[in-house]
Amino acid sequence: MQYKSQKIAQNFYTAAVLLFLVQVIVGIVAALQFMWPDFFFLNFNTVRTLHINALVVWLLMGMMGATYYVVPEESETELWSVPLANLQFWATVFAVGLVIIGYIVMGINPQANMQVFGTNLLNEGREYIEAPRWADVLIVISVLLFLFNCVMTVLKTKKFTAVQGVLLGGLTFLALMYLPGMFYTKSMVMDQYWWWWVVHLWVEGSWELIAAALLAFMLHKLLGTDVKVLAKWMYIEVGLVMFTGILGLGHHYYWIGTPKYWLWVGGIFSSLEPIPLLLMVWDAFRTTRETRAPVSNRLGLYLTVSHAIFNFVGAGLWGVVHTLPQVNKWTHGTQVTTAHGHLAFYGAYVLLVVAMIYVTLPSIRGVKEYNQTRGYLSFWWMTISMIFIVITITGAGMVQTYLERLFGLDYVTVKANYNLWFWIFRAIFGAGFLVGVLILVVDYFKLGKEKA
Amino acid sequence: MSNNAAKNLFIYGSLLCFVVLIILTVDTMGTLKDRAPEITEKVDLGKQVWHKYDCIGCHTIFGNGSYFAPDMTKVTERKPLDYLKKFIMNPRAVKPGTAMPVLGISAEEADNLIAFLVWTSKVDTNGWPPKPILALGGNKKESAGEALFRKNDCAACHQINGMGGTAGPDLTHVGSKRPDINWHMRHLKNPQSVVPDSAMPPFEDLTEDELADLAGYLIEFK
Repeated sequence: MQYKSQKIAQNFYTAAVLLFLVQVIVGIVAALQFMWPDFFFLNFNTVRTLHINALVVWLLMGMMGATYYVVPEESETELWSVPLANLQFWATVFAVGLVIIGYIVMGINPQANMQVFGTNLLNEGREYIEAPRWADVLIVISVLLFLFNCVMTVLKTKKFTAVQGVLLGGLTFLALMYLPGMFYTKSMVMDQYWWWWVVHLWVEGSWELIAAALLAFMLHKLLGTDVKVLAKWMYIEVGLVMFTGILGLGHHYYWIGTPKYWLWVGGIFSSLEPIPLLLMVWDAFRTTRETRAPVSNRLGLYLTVSHAIFNFVGAGLWGVVHTLPQVNKWTHGTQVTTAHGHLAFYGAYVLLVVAMIYVTLPSIRGVKEYNQTRGYLSFWWMTISMIFIVITITGAGMVQTYLERLFGLDYVTVKANYNLWFWIFRAIFGAGFLVGVLILVVDYFKLGKEKA
Repeated sequence: MSNNAAKNLFIYGSLLCFVVLIILTVDTMGTLKDRAPEITEKVDLGKQVWHKYDCIGCHTIFGNGSYFAPDMTKVTERKPLDYLKKFIMNPRAVKPGTAMPVLGISAEEADNLIAFLVWTSKVDTNGWPPKPILALGGNKKESAGEALFRKNDCAACHQINGMGGTAGPDLTHVGSKRPDINWHMRHLKNPQSVVPDSAMPPFEDLTEDELADLAGYLIEFK
């Protein structure tokens, strides 16, 4: 670490790994509710809201922390304002805490989710963006403060590097794409139309820009590869991400009441979405192979390459198999989507943030060497468990597609009888994933504080 | 390709794609009115009920949402509205053992929610969800009772040998449980006359002969 202010990243990382733990614990509760819906004091909808919101928030916290680390290094100067970054961090933690309390209150007493000034007080009732409107405003303010701080840092030395250009560009795009989720429409069709702008243009647009920028940053930091070469491939990757991803949005507009031409637009462009992700895998392997110097942070490199691979497999392959309208007509709204969601988020973003932590944390803690054993152990517990979770949910999705959609069996019958074993195995592998996360959390707090 | 060329391709390519997206969005917004019925105040209030109780935390609508409970887009097409109202207000009184909890939805809220779901069922969704293809096969001769069972879509709520809905009781062994044909005829005509809390709608249009055929078909399931 060259600049003291980069240390602020650690606050964000700590919040991220702790929320990751919370996310996985409530995920296991949700998995058990597939078998015993009533065993927990909160209903499934509240537990799932906590599961997916914790995910989004901890990934964003991780990305913000990573950015606070990257920007001073690229700009070759201290962060514009550390107190502002601290304020932004604690304000975010406070707002997230309030939102979580709100969800739990609503879970206990649904009537508490009353309308105030035309919006719901505790939960907007819209998947992923359940946070109420007052929280939306706080989130936007927080992200704007964060971006302002980063941009001011860049302006101090005016070193507009490619990596921070794409990184900050991606984050600005992310902030802008939150806005289409912040107004009410009377039509459910329009509601979902704009809602997909937020969800899709985040995970298949702006977040992939951030991932490509951080991938280039990590490869440079770990291997010392020429920035120019990395930057060129990064531009090609993000160019293809945007070319396929923006109109790939159409694959969400097949069946929600929008015109038929979306079947063509979505089918064609979203089928191409795996290409940039495959390019990222090739990029990671090529860069690694061409490096002759020994790599000291082997675990960091291991995680970086794994992120590239599982981004392609989870977001790319598991997505493309059901993206054509001819297939999607039968699989849409089944567990096939859940399987894709789990592997995509794990590969594209969980491993990205975990890799970024292992690449930057040693220097934040001021060590060159650190004990990498637990890091590998945690990676394998998480990855093998996730692969099996995805296999079980994919199996459940295929059974559901055949029996419910093709055969005409009732939804509840398929879920309760035919898919029961899939739910049981999913919960068991969920426990395996929790083991991996616990090792990660322990390792996070111990890293650099014991003998290498 | 030089770095600058790659950068320009990224920036201007993205902008071009975004412009195309905006043009398609404007066009789509213009067509939505013709693809769905008018949104009355009741439908809008029903949508607000949908959001208030975070229904999407368990269900899907237009196939989007959670995958814990059935899709609601076309639910009003096959399920009687009175049944839905009773179920929404007190699910476990209507169907013991259901995963759906009692949320405290009022009668007025339930009416509005159903109006909203009737609206979603009429949206042109490009043919989604598709009709099951394998269930349409078969060309065996069916009895008059079986034909009535199919015509009245009894399978929307009742299951026989694993096929059919789970909203009402399973009829696979209904003949052993209720062997009396007269009971069935009275029940079909007016369910509440024999089962006071029943959420099943009356089938008043059936003639005496039809009632006898359908009831006769049912008691064969031993």
